[in-house]
Amino acid sequence: MASSLPAAPAATTRHFADDLRQRSDTALAALLRARPDLAAPSPSTLRSLAARASSRTSLERALARADALTLQVLEAVLALEPVFRAPPGGADAGGPPLPGPLSPEVVTWALGGSADDRSLVEAAVHRAVEQALLWDGGPGTEQSDGQGSDRAADLRTSPGLDELLGPNPAGLGPHVEPVPDGLAEAVGRSLGSAPGRTGTNATEAALDTLLADAPGGARAILDALTWGPPVGVVPPAGSRPRDAVNWLVTAHLLVRSDARHVVLPRLVGLALRGGHTHRAPHTRPPEPQGRTVPTATADAEAASAALELVRRVRLLRQSWDDSPSSVLRAGGLGVRDLRRIAALLEADEPATAFVVEVAALAGLVRDDGEAPPSYVPTVTDWDDLDDAARWARLAEAWLTARRAPWLVGSRDDKGALRAPLSPDLQRPWVPRLRHSVLGVLAAARDADAVLAPTPDAVVEVLTWHTPRSVPPASAVEGLLAEAEWLGVTGAGALSAPGLALLEQDASANRTAGSPAGQEPSDVAGVLRAVLPHEVDEILLQGDLTGIVPGRPSRELARLLERSTDVESRGAATTVRFSPASVTRALDQGETADGLLDELAHRSPVPVPQPLEYLVRDTARRHGAVRVGSASAYLRAADATVLAGLEHDPSLTGLGLVRLAPTVLAASVPAAALHEALRSRGLVSALEGPDGRVLVARRGVTGRAIPAPRSAAAIRMGSAADVATRAPDPEALVAELRAVEAAARAGARARADAAEVAHSVAAPGAVPLRGYRVVSPAVPVTADEVTVTAPPEPAPSSSNGPDAPLDDDPGTQHPADGLALLRDALRDGSTVIIEVAGHTGRLERRELKPLNLDGGRLRALDPDREAELTIAVHRIASVLPTTPRPEANQN
Amino acid sequence: MPDGPLIVQSDKTLLLEVDHPSAEQARRSIAPFAELERAPEHVHTYRLTALGLWNARAAGHDAEQVVNTLIEFSRYPVPHALLVDVAETMSRYGRLQLAQDPAHGLVLRTTDRAVLAEVLKSKRTAGLVGARIDESTVTVHPSERGHLKQVLVKLGWPAEDLAGYVDGEKHPIELSPTTHPRTPHEQAAPWEMRPYQAQAVDGFWHGGSGVVVLPCGAGKTIVGAGAMAKSGTTTLILVTNTVSARQWRDELVRRTTLTEDEIGEYSGTKKEIKPVTIATYQVLTTKRKGVYTHLELLDARDWGLVLYDEVHLLPAPVFRMTADLQARRRLGLTATLVREDGREDEVFSLIGPKRFDAPWKDIEAQGYIAPADCVEVRLTLPESERMTYATAETEDKYRLAASASGKKKVVEQIVARHPDDQVLVIGQYIDQLEELAEHLGAPIITGQTTNKERQRLFGAFREGEISRLVVSKVANYSVDLPEASVAIQVSGSFGSRQEEAQRLGRIMRPKADGRTAHFYAVVARDTVDQDFAAHRQRFLAEQGYAYRIVDAEDLDGSPADSTAP
Repeated sequence: MASSLPAAPAATTRHFADDLRQRSDTALAALLRARPDLAAPSPSTLRSLAARASSRTSLERALARADALTLQVLEAVLALEPVFRAPPGGADAGGPPLPGPLSPEVVTWALGGSADDRSLVEAAVHRAVEQALLWDGGPGTEQSDGQGSDRAADLRTSPGLDELLGPNPAGLGPHVEPVPDGLAEAVGRSLGSAPGRTGTNATEAALDTLLADAPGGARAILDALTWGPPVGVVPPAGSRPRDAVNWLVTAHLLVRSDARHVVLPRLVGLALRGGHTHRAPHTRPPEPQGRTVPTATADAEAASAALELVRRVRLLRQSWDDSPSSVLRAGGLGVRDLRRIAALLEADEPATAFVVEVAALAGLVRDDGEAPPSYVPTVTDWDDLDDAARWARLAEAWLTARRAPWLVGSRDDKGALRAPLSPDLQRPWVPRLRHSVLGVLAAARDADAVLAPTPDAVVEVLTWHTPRSVPPASAVEGLLAEAEWLGVTGAGALSAPGLALLEQDASANRTAGSPAGQEPSDVAGVLRAVLPHEVDEILLQGDLTGIVPGRPSRELARLLERSTDVESRGAATTVRFSPASVTRALDQGETADGLLDELAHRSPVPVPQPLEYLVRDTARRHGAVRVGSASAYLRAADATVLAGLEHDPSLTGLGLVRLAPTVLAASVPAAALHEALRSRGLVSALEGPDGRVLVARRGVTGRAIPAPRSAAAIRMGSAADVATRAPDPEALVAELRAVEAAARAGARARADAAEVAHSVAAPGAVPLRGYRVVSPAVPVTADEVTVTAPPEPAPSSSNGPDAPLDDDPGTQHPADGLALLRDALRDGSTVIIEVAGHTGRLERRELKPLNLDGGRLRALDPDREAELTIAVHRIASVLPTTPRPEANQN
Repeated sequence: MPDGPLIVQSDKTLLLEVDHPSAEQARRSIAPFAELERAPEHVHTYRLTALGLWNARAAGHDAEQVVNTLIEFSRYPVPHALLVDVAETMSRYGRLQLAQDPAHGLVLRTTDRAVLAEVLKSKRTAGLVGARIDESTVTVHPSERGHLKQVLVKLGWPAEDLAGYVDGEKHPIELSPTTHPRTPHEQAAPWEMRPYQAQAVDGFWHGGSGVVVLPCGAGKTIVGAGAMAKSGTTTLILVTNTVSARQWRDELVRRTTLTEDEIGEYSGTKKEIKPVTIATYQVLTTKRKGVYTHLELLDARDWGLVLYDEVHLLPAPVFRMTADLQARRRLGLTATLVREDGREDEVFSLIGPKRFDAPWKDIEAQGYIAPADCVEVRLTLPESERMTYATAETEDKYRLAASASGKKKVVEQIVARHPDDQVLVIGQYIDQLEELAEHLGAPIITGQTTNKERQRLFGAFREGEISRLVVSKVANYSVDLPEASVAIQVSGSFGSRQEEAQRLGRIMRPKADGRTAHFYAVVARDTVDQDFAAHRQRFLAEQGYAYRIVDAEDLDGSPADSTAP
């Protein structure tokens, strides 16, 4: 049990919260940046910041982001902690087995590796300290900022970390006393904590001495347990291995954990490992495996993918303009519609789902909001851009999207097929994973060649970066496939446009606040540079084909789209003219002469005679049979009857058109026509509906609906990151400091007051916001004193969100209580806990916490010598007990 | 090459710009592994197929060579996936080999045990292979050699057949240095194989079995004769039809030491089995009571060589039958490896890989194929005939359109345009032809014409005594009329592109004075006749023939050579 109050003895160890408190402002800001979840919502005090930093959730998050090396460092510190520090309460043990602080240097020796590795390990230690996963538990001074002091830091793991990393860190067993002779010293020397570092020879020599008269097989048993797991099964009685085990247990080289198992003590394990905690440090991510692709190839592939995507999005918009697809009841696009679009786009279903998704992300298509809803294209300036700029819009939308289109076609928990555009494709973690994946690709791009790592290789690298949260291989594969469809990669390797996209995103993040992609970006320019040449001519051939030896210009593309069928697409385009394709052009208002002129104008060779003949012949036949719409018809055997009607001024509203001498068509329904003729005095008969009444097709133009006002609004999942929404770390730190200063002033006042009252101030009970100070000795007095001598209110507290600084009669902040419980667990000390009883009344008990897990506290009541379990939510407050003099010695 | 003549598309087509300075070089480099699909005037289209790549492997090219060629001549970066695919595909050929083992007979060997394990695991190889000899060898029953090869191609692991061939029954065959005269008054003329024909024979003989690809009219029969002479064994020749069979016999008699007595015809009408036997596909595929009755032919003699004419037309049942002929040397002759039924893989596995391929342009450049001017004349039917046509039953439509009365006048006009040429009029319907013959005052040859009369008329036509001849479809196959420079087709077979080109190739032999040949097709507008013509047109244009469409109304009687290209 320790106290960090200035009044307390300097030799005592500090607490985690003290370490945080003593960090510099910049170090705290760095912490808040590295672990953004600590800053949102803003913690009210530094102690609650510390409590939050050591809470299970936050630690899990931090560990999930930690790379393999950092995790090794944490494991090493956790494994070495007990052997550098005597167990709490073991006052008679005579000090820790290994002397000296657990310094970063010791950690680097423990991990081993070359001199090169050591600097990386030290950097990892520094990072872990910065993220408050490690802290300096050495006897510090108030002004220490954790890095600038001349004394070697004494590293500790953050409270709660031991629970997350398991009972056997790095596969090492528990630390138990007594330690066999000479082992501690040998390990200490190999770790450099004891004078005269010797390397692994020392531990080998010590083990040899200990095993000098061991029975056969003893060493083999130890070797089997060396690299973990450290638990072995006891062989049957009477066997020779059993004798060896028995001997080892007697020699304290093994410990019986229960009737059937033995366990290798930590120091023995360390000695067997030559003083190391790990075989070797994983200082760097593995080199990704894959084939090398020339940059030119990657760029060219990317360019063709980009063009293809833009083309497909355009086709999708056209298709939905003509016939919108309806929205499923649960949201999303039905599988039949998906297949139809896939056939149209000449793509498989996953690629089609991606096209649909990316078009929606870029706000180019959306649900029209009608009942029943359909997907329709939006009105946008996208169509007016060139290919490169269109692509840039799509790519930017994709980069920040929180959606997982690769799940389309798989089934959810209820067995329902996941549909494109459906809300359950939303995955908040996608942007982070996408950035990691692209980051791996970006690291592999050089000037000439670029590596195309396999999905497995990418997963391997990502596994090094975050071993505790390995991304699912399917997601990585999905993202890589998307990058390929998009042209962010070409032939599996990052392309120049892809790199530009990443760089633009990085710079946009640096100048936070300006939304990405609003100004014409550089990304389009980079793509433009790698696109095939724009060609404005077509080679027409006698077999009715035409070849565009490059990328067709926009006008040419429009012409070809109208009048030809594409046979082959790629660096060049092969098109074929057929009666059907020419008819299409004629349908769109083209004339034979116009089409031939335009073709002649764009062809370096004369228009081949068969083509000319085809166009003219098709034009000749075009319109020979005509189709129109009418609502009703009027027929009569006598042509003269009808002749008068067509130009009758009283019937102009009927829209009568003469189709043949004996047939008139009308634009009004048959009933209306009938009525009108009757009123004119002409007795007409109504023909029954026999299918010849043509009904005008439902108007398809004008389906388009306006795009939403801001592009950001329709970008699915583009909400600002949590980190950017959180307050500025520097400002937050300043605020916390101010609270701290105010509290200190209050504490000083109270300490004085307490002295007057002959009371000992509660250690660690620095009165912070929301913290109720209760001195167990004379609680009422202390309260009264505090009340009568309130601290100076901090200037910033007036606009702070929390209660006033002075004593708050309400309950304690839960995080503070938990922090105290953790400290007590760690130190093996007792605390005073106020628990809400069955009747709702607060009961106060002094307890020794044993375990805190899953929302339950297991604790020992020393007075009653009984163990009890309390639900954490029933704990109203936790108070430290007065330090006991004998416990303070450690 | 940033300005290369080749554009490599990701759908595995290669576009070759013909007018590019290095186009010729590129063409030579890609020919071994890419199939020419279309050869219109400016840009030729080649296609990369698995079979084409395996053919290249069989000819000794490796993937690196192919990839380098593509990269060297390509104007734009070659799609990466395509290069990977090329390397992957080519590496598959030859990992399995069929070989003769001194102890175990025919065996399937592998250099890659995993591949052998994979193919043996497949259900399709069950029953085709025998006992496993060791990790990388398994016995094969000799009778399943063909089936196994077929299956392995289907599984994507084509086997290299190194098992060799039976020698077959010896029979002396030599190429004769001079042609044997067909008619008493014809002179024997010295001749020899053209260089590319000799190369084709050598290429085939070295490879063992395989296919020789030569364009129409390039003299495939002579390559066959050359192969027979090289083999010097009894030979079975499989051809498409009787007419073709007779033509083969004539050519063999004319150019080899074989006499009429040594050559047998095995067809619907005759069932002769002689040292050299020519059989039609049709007779082989004739079934009686569900049984192929003429299979014994295949084992009738110990054939040393089996020749397949027009491999691309080989009917499916013949494939099944010839699967058993794997121990004999096989030569396939064709103008194209592209089959419209997609059975290219069967040709590859059962006949063999491509052994020789002469680019059409090369042969034309050497003057062995005459350039031809193809014109389609479109005739508008008069109102009354249109009405008849519109209301006719579907099966009568073609006949109605093809024998439209207006064609008579059109033919007359065309003939008038070529006063100095030897003109053939070809048709399908005898009534129509008789009418035309009468109208033009020209003699007619049909199926009913006696052989003697035929020989007399052909002789007279060759000698220039008569300059116009009307022939039916049957007759036009068996004639070799080198001096015919104009052909007018008034009605043809229903749009068979292959047959059309065949016919064209046969008639359009190089002329002594280097004149351009003319081919006219007279077609009734807006009828099925025109639709069939469109097929032919596409095929001919793809083959590189200049093709024009003219309205019948625009024809006049002026000599054609003023408008000829």
